[in-house]
Amino acid sequence: MSEETPRVGVFVCHCGLNIAGVVDVKAVVDYARSLPCVMFAGDNRYSCADPGQEQIRKAIRENKLNRVVVAACSPRMHEVTFRKCIKDEGLNPYYLEMANIREFASWAHGSNPVGATEKAKEIVKMAVAKAVLLKPLDVIEVPVTNKAMVIGGGIAGMNAALDLADMGFKVYLVEKTESIGGHMAQLDKTFPTLDCSICIEGPKMVDVNRHPNIEIISYADILKVDGYVGNFKVKVRKNPRYVIAKNCTGCGECRDACPVEYPNEWDMNMGVRKVISVPFDQAIPLVFAINKDYCIDCYKCVDACGARQAINFDQQPEEFELDVGAIVVATGFDIYLPTDDPLFGYGRYDNVITALEFERLILAAGPTGGKVIRASDSKKPHSVTFIQCVGSRDVNKYEYCSGFCCMYAVKNAILLKEKYRDDVEVYLMYIDMRTNFKGYEEFYRRARDLGVNFIRGKASQVLEDTKTKNLIIRAEDMSIGEPVELESEMVVLCTAAIPKKGSDEVARVLSISRGADGFFMESHPKLKPIDTPVDGIFLAGACQGPKDIPYSVAQGSAAASRAATILSKPKVKIEPIIAVVDPKTCQNTKVKCGICEKVCPYGAASAPEKEPAKVTPAMCHGCGTCVAECPADAITQMHFTDAQIMSQIHAALEINPEEKILGFLCNWCSYAGADLAGTSRFEYPPTLRAIRVMCSGRVDRDFVLEAFKQGAGMVLVAACHLPYDCHYISGNVWMTKRMAALKGMLEKLGMSPERLKIDYISAAEGVKFQEVNKEMTAQLQALGKDKIRAENARLRPTLEKMLARKKAEAPAPVAATAPTKPKT
Amino acid sequence: MPMKELKIDNEHELVIERLLHAKHYSLTLDKSRCVGCEICKVICPREAIEVRKQPKLQGQRVQRSVFDVSAQKCSYCGMCVPICPFEALRVQVNEEPLVSVVEKESFPQLIHEIEVDTSKCGVDCVDCEKACPLNLIKVTLLTPDGKEICHNDTRTYPSNSLKVNVDIKKEQSPCCRLCEVKCPEGAIHVRKIFHGVLDISVEKCPQGCQDCLDVCPIPGALFVEGGKVYPNETFCVFCGACKIVCPVDGALVMERHSVHHTPIKSGAWSKAMEKLTSVKEYSKESQAKRALKVMQSIEKRTACKGVEYV
Repeated sequence: MSEETPRVGVFVCHCGLNIAGVVDVKAVVDYARSLPCVMFAGDNRYSCADPGQEQIRKAIRENKLNRVVVAACSPRMHEVTFRKCIKDEGLNPYYLEMANIREFASWAHGSNPVGATEKAKEIVKMAVAKAVLLKPLDVIEVPVTNKAMVIGGGIAGMNAALDLADMGFKVYLVEKTESIGGHMAQLDKTFPTLDCSICIEGPKMVDVNRHPNIEIISYADILKVDGYVGNFKVKVRKNPRYVIAKNCTGCGECRDACPVEYPNEWDMNMGVRKVISVPFDQAIPLVFAINKDYCIDCYKCVDACGARQAINFDQQPEEFELDVGAIVVATGFDIYLPTDDPLFGYGRYDNVITALEFERLILAAGPTGGKVIRASDSKKPHSVTFIQCVGSRDVNKYEYCSGFCCMYAVKNAILLKEKYRDDVEVYLMYIDMRTNFKGYEEFYRRARDLGVNFIRGKASQVLEDTKTKNLIIRAEDMSIGEPVELESEMVVLCTAAIPKKGSDEVARVLSISRGADGFFMESHPKLKPIDTPVDGIFLAGACQGPKDIPYSVAQGSAAASRAATILSKPKVKIEPIIAVVDPKTCQNTKVKCGICEKVCPYGAASAPEKEPAKVTPAMCHGCGTCVAECPADAITQMHFTDAQIMSQIHAALEINPEEKILGFLCNWCSYAGADLAGTSRFEYPPTLRAIRVMCSGRVDRDFVLEAFKQGAGMVLVAACHLPYDCHYISGNVWMTKRMAALKGMLEKLGMSPERLKIDYISAAEGVKFQEVNKEMTAQLQALGKDKIRAENARLRPTLEKMLARKKAEAPAPVAATAPTKPKT
Repeated sequence: MPMKELKIDNEHELVIERLLHAKHYSLTLDKSRCVGCEICKVICPREAIEVRKQPKLQGQRVQRSVFDVSAQKCSYCGMCVPICPFEALRVQVNEEPLVSVVEKESFPQLIHEIEVDTSKCGVDCVDCEKACPLNLIKVTLLTPDGKEICHNDTRTYPSNSLKVNVDIKKEQSPCCRLCEVKCPEGAIHVRKIFHGVLDISVEKCPQGCQDCLDVCPIPGALFVEGGKVYPNETFCVFCGACKIVCPVDGALVMERHSVHHTPIKSGAWSKAMEKLTSVKEYSKESQAKRALKVMQSIEKRTACKGVEYV
């Protein structure tokens, strides 16, 4: 790679009066001209406007410039604009550096023009120092396999599959159980319309089965997922049904001939199914399966099947690999069975059931043919009580609210009243009634009008009358403020919706994370509820959090749309601000390291045994945490190299370092917060010299040590709030650990504790940024230059020894342009 | 109500139950009929049954081995019900007796072939009733007007007007043939259910041990002579109770070679037959069946009965 001499052009913007009104622009231009490597310095009224951009391009042409510094607004404002501007003139867009002299100088120090101008000069100096070391980078492009995979065939997954298929993409719909449909197919009627559930879902299931672009792979497990966005390789295993799907007509004659039955999970173990059977009659695909655990090998099914010859006892599991570009996870939820809860008697008292068991009773296709009967005497109950929030909203069990239980309890109460009228007395014991969507409040009113008795007060205990098997429920009725005891012939527990069993395995295989409640974690709870931190993998439905049917359907379509943003393009662009490992320096070949693999939240870094670590470019998001954590300094972050940042530190602290605060601000939170302070014209003393990093995780210990070695008065490291705000998930966590250790060490060496400050400033906390600056400046002045100099002198020998091991920076390795070929 | 699996064990019965909201299954063992043999354990497809040898107390005779079944493993298929020669087991679904494997023709029933020609019976004779070790025979007399009386009340009737009625609980009988042998008139014909061999090695049989004899349900199938036990295959029902308690490996060899059962075509029976007898014996049975089938199909095709083999 040619090491051409950098020829830097500095363009200082007036921004009307926004900058020029406070900062002496001409002085800054003159100052810039005096800096090393600066071949041209000029000013513009509005650099971002067309004339301003044209001036920049003209100067590049005439002065053969190969690096550009635009001293203007925040890079978060116009970095993209100016990158495009210089690209149009033939320069690599990553040769641009911005000096923020508006939000960080003119706007923040409006009453201090002299201070603002001095600060502006130093900001430009820092920018020029970095610009000199910038390297050209190319956007990485990866090809996209335009096929999708949807994991989970419930209502959300089916919708995602249908939408994607209608868009023209091939979809593999992988379902773990024998049939698609999910929990919705187990329900009787749905709220608030009281539609028969399978009547509305059945046609959808048929549509999925019939669609030419959808391939249903049922009774299958996902074994392994490799690759990255646009290029996933998924290994799937189809489990043997011992029935040949092609030949099975779904006639059911085998089922009639089979002598053995076993409890049917689909019926919540209230009914049975034959050893060869389908879980329910509307199963899709309608292919029978044999449960080998219970089969006695009588072969009566084979006889009954006859000429169709659909049964094959020698069928083996089938493993194969599929190439897809995007994956939608729609694995759904489970229902909490409170057998471990001694208060409600589930599992001990015959007539205590869960809500899903109630659905199977009242459903016409259920094990009792639609008759709601008690287990103890098979008689219809004359009183039924629904108890809400069993396991939900419980600090001892599941803290969250399961969302749909109020509505389904009201629905079941209405169904009972409409079916049995005055023959049944219905009670509903609740804490709150959460009926918040379209038609839901009216539905609740309908239940009250039908004569359902609502008792506000969660039941605390359920006891049984051993003779009648009736239940006695104890609660406090909060409306009258008195404890009550209610005798009911049947009790229905509305239990919590919990993460589906096996979702930990799904999370592990896909490298996606689960939140504290066990449901899959989205990228951002408000703005990105469908994305996961892994590019190309999306969530839909209850696996992301308990939700009702309309919400699940909407998320299914949303996931399809998100997946389509990848699948609809032949190539996907990846920003080249990524980490690259130098295999020669990596110590994983000699000792067992793997620290980069441990800290990467995206699974982009891997450190196989005895081999140098590797970062997959397409998976790297560019936080830089692995760069800072690497004990061998073997990893470099493109566009934010150690050398570049060190040059900014030196530039900032060249003159009067003891009067300065050197700040490291993370792009997404603290830098944005600082910008906001400027935008809002919150004024503070101009002592801070800010260095922008993408994530606080990038802030190496060596940067802080170097800053103190250069004589800095104070150092500030500002990050996103813990624990969940970090844009790169966990960068701030690693930074906190790292800096806590460093701070302890420096204080032991005699440094005043306030000189190194770790703080957390969000993008909305402009005021906090102003306060921090004021506070730190006051402390700085209180310490005094002499004390600081003395402390620095004491620290210097230790710091020099610690920094000596940092080798003279070699030219950074060039980032890979194709994802499969690691360079250097 | 979530599924419940229960086990109730008392002096008279062992009951396991599977209770679902809408269906109840139960398997009941009548302890008075169970002899602690191995037959149900051998054929159970889920290996849910255990027959445990009882520890022998010092100076006491060995007790009958005890049947146990796992409430979790049992699938209530019902195979153990027809296979028990003593009819000690019953399966009920929703309180009605139901053996689904027999209903669906997946398992045969044993044929307890016991015929009595009462015309040969003496009016005073109750020898068969006394001979039956399981008390399955009841001899009564029928008066001309159809009343059934016992032998104590014969005085009021002339002896030649009374008809002998022999009531045998065939389903509970293992067909040991004791009644056939003891009958003075030869009026009884019994065909064994299980045929096979019972061999006790004189060298290996421990001196003074008679554990096998103590658990054998049929007196006469085993007898002691000079401190050693000898088999009498005429009366042996090949239940295998002796096999379980014999303390010396290889001293007692009991093999079944055939089973007298209703005609059946079922893979489940093939497996059970293999387990009860051996692969060799089963293949003999299936070959015999095959030959019969071939003969039937030739008869059908050539439309003539009784093909003669030249």
